[in-house]
Amino acid sequence: MAFYEQHIHPKPTTFISKYIFSYDHKVIGKQFLWYGILGLGLGGIMALMIRWALAFPGEAFPLIGQFMFPETGGVIPPDTYAMLFTMHGTIMIFYAITPILIGAFGNFCIPLMIGCRDMAFPLMNMLSFWLAVLSAVLLVGSLFTPLGAAAGGWTAYPTLSTLIGSPGVGQTLWAVAIFVLGISSTMGAINYITTVITLRAPGMGYFDMPLTIWGLWLTAILNAIFLPVLGAGGLLLVFDRVFGTQFFLAGAAATSGTGDPVLFQHVFWIFGHPEVYILILPAWGIVSDILSFFSRKPAFGAKATALSMTSITILSTLVYGHHMYTTQMSPLLTQTFMTLTMTISIPSAIFFANWLGTIWKGSIKFDTPMLFSLGVVFVFGLGGLTGLYLGTVTTDLYLHDTYFVVGHFHYTMAASVLFGSFAAIYFWMPKMFGKMLNETWGKIHFWLTMLGLNGVFFGMLFVGYAGMHRRLYDPFVYDFLQKLVPINTFITWSAILMGLSQIIFVVNFVYVVFWGKEETDPNPWKVGTLEWTIPSPAPHYNFDQIPVVKCGPHELGNPNLTTDRDFQYQTEELVEA
Amino acid sequence: MERTAILHSDSAEGKRLVSSIAMIVVLVSFSMLFASLFLGYSYFRITSPVWPPMGMDKVELFYPTLSTFAIVLSSMTFMIFRAKYFGGGDVKKTLPWLLGTIALGLGFMYTQFSLWADLKSKGFYASSGVFQSLVYSFTWIHAAHIVIALLALAYLIPVTMKKECTITEENKVNNVGKFWHFLDVIWLLMYFIIFVI
Repeated sequence: MAFYEQHIHPKPTTFISKYIFSYDHKVIGKQFLWYGILGLGLGGIMALMIRWALAFPGEAFPLIGQFMFPETGGVIPPDTYAMLFTMHGTIMIFYAITPILIGAFGNFCIPLMIGCRDMAFPLMNMLSFWLAVLSAVLLVGSLFTPLGAAAGGWTAYPTLSTLIGSPGVGQTLWAVAIFVLGISSTMGAINYITTVITLRAPGMGYFDMPLTIWGLWLTAILNAIFLPVLGAGGLLLVFDRVFGTQFFLAGAAATSGTGDPVLFQHVFWIFGHPEVYILILPAWGIVSDILSFFSRKPAFGAKATALSMTSITILSTLVYGHHMYTTQMSPLLTQTFMTLTMTISIPSAIFFANWLGTIWKGSIKFDTPMLFSLGVVFVFGLGGLTGLYLGTVTTDLYLHDTYFVVGHFHYTMAASVLFGSFAAIYFWMPKMFGKMLNETWGKIHFWLTMLGLNGVFFGMLFVGYAGMHRRLYDPFVYDFLQKLVPINTFITWSAILMGLSQIIFVVNFVYVVFWGKEETDPNPWKVGTLEWTIPSPAPHYNFDQIPVVKCGPHELGNPNLTTDRDFQYQTEELVEA
Repeated sequence: MERTAILHSDSAEGKRLVSSIAMIVVLVSFSMLFASLFLGYSYFRITSPVWPPMGMDKVELFYPTLSTFAIVLSSMTFMIFRAKYFGGGDVKKTLPWLLGTIALGLGFMYTQFSLWADLKSKGFYASSGVFQSLVYSFTWIHAAHIVIALLALAYLIPVTMKKECTITEENKVNNVGKFWHFLDVIWLLMYFIIFVI
């Protein structure tokens, strides 16, 4: 229920107040979208460089290699390789996926889908974006410091990340950048949580919220609770590096009173495990909604989906130890963590079955958003199932730190989340910019990405199972890995295919945003949630009058519909049979 | 359902709720920051057979105790200020209590600096061991929050001097107050856990 009438900022008139320092959640959402797409591009190029080094060791990187590494004739040097995978992980997680799903679609969708005029705290929203920009500047700036950027992996484990492991300023800047980004995301989370609790349109109960909002809201809760944990870890790391404290310096803490590197792993994964759910929950929510919209059927067990997402949120806080089976943890603890981890498959199976139940016997429309959502169902299924082997102690001891892990978390965090983001972009494009992305090119984009992506990540599962470790500069110096050269070459060609097919998306997106023709239909997908009741692009302050919600978000194909449409707007009364 | 009937007729009550919900989330976030630090502390403390390790002496309680007095008193003066401000007292009666709170906060910072200077003079450096690292980092991080909170308290001076007290001013005073009391509680925890036991 809306708790109060929101203060309405006057419509901005100047360029700066409209596009740069805007209070409007829609503009901030678009800013985050551009920011995230830039991050995807940067992280993607880094990924291609990593793949190049693995498939063609000792060969110059094409096109830009000569300019970037003149001293080696264009070949990626080993220390740069370490920087590349560190920055690739960091940028993709914190500067691409987080801004697109949480920053862009969190900001854009929450007020529109719950029927309010703006976030609860517009000023804080704006600050959140500009802090994120500051953080990106710090991180990208670290690439230009004398010893280069951070090179300790995205997990920044000591001793790789202490002064002994990485003496340059880069790692310090990395920690500071992550800390600043943490503040920015926490501010966003405070905003999202408060907005969802207090500003839902009259009549909208928690279970009348679209599942997208459920996903984003649960994400915000996890963000608010666990980002400060990473912040604390990052601060202590900065203290270790700058002020000479001893938290993470190696030494036997029990006797000598020095620090312990494993403490950082604890702190990191207490945050880090919820973080993977922070990334995936919005995608789950978006997919749950889109599957229903394009199957023209109510989401099967929507309440169960929402509740299972909630229970995953709670369980995700209890399982972080499964990242640390190889740190000489007591077997009692590893088995506890294993059992808790396995428990997560119950709620996951519930909503996964609900997804299948939603499309079962639906009249499916294969528009681009739906294709990407079905893609999520596929890749998330694969990613989730491979996770079982990593959550089990016995198999993890063998698979730990191999490419199997890389394949697994790319299927869940990269593939599912990327597809979820694309589904969201294609779906909400008309409401964001008032223009539709080209459907044909969208479908080509989907199929090429799907092919490339599975080539990359499935190949990674294979080489990992064969024993190839992650983070090796040239794995083929080891005899037992030399047989993996062809499959690594295949992975790289798949990655190149995937990378090139993103050009289709970028061209499509940029062309449509700037030169595309206006979409006249305010509701091109024929769905009933609140954002589709208003004109496209969404006007200043969204709703002329705050809508009153009468039914749930997925009233599609309901036999009791009162109109000649096959869906019901959430503002319309549903006649009981 | 009529729209006006559902929207709270009294917008102030709604704004109060929104503000306190957001402040709860803020304080949960800050609590998790300090909780992580305490987790680190207990990790070292539990794995060490003797505490403090390496035959270190405990930190002398003189300055930490002074800090405790300063910050507890400042919380009390703030409560008096808040009561008087909401009681509709005029500026001359309320402002001194706010200024007193700020002065005690500054006093807290002074005792912290004295503590650091004193420790340094005794050869107790952040880089000499994990116990020293803990003492310094905890006090640094807490002091950094105190500086921010002091700025927020200073920001309340012009708010207090305004004639009217609407819901906006009320929320500002309440939220700054909650943050200040929160830092007080954190300091008390730190005092007992790091310095006393």
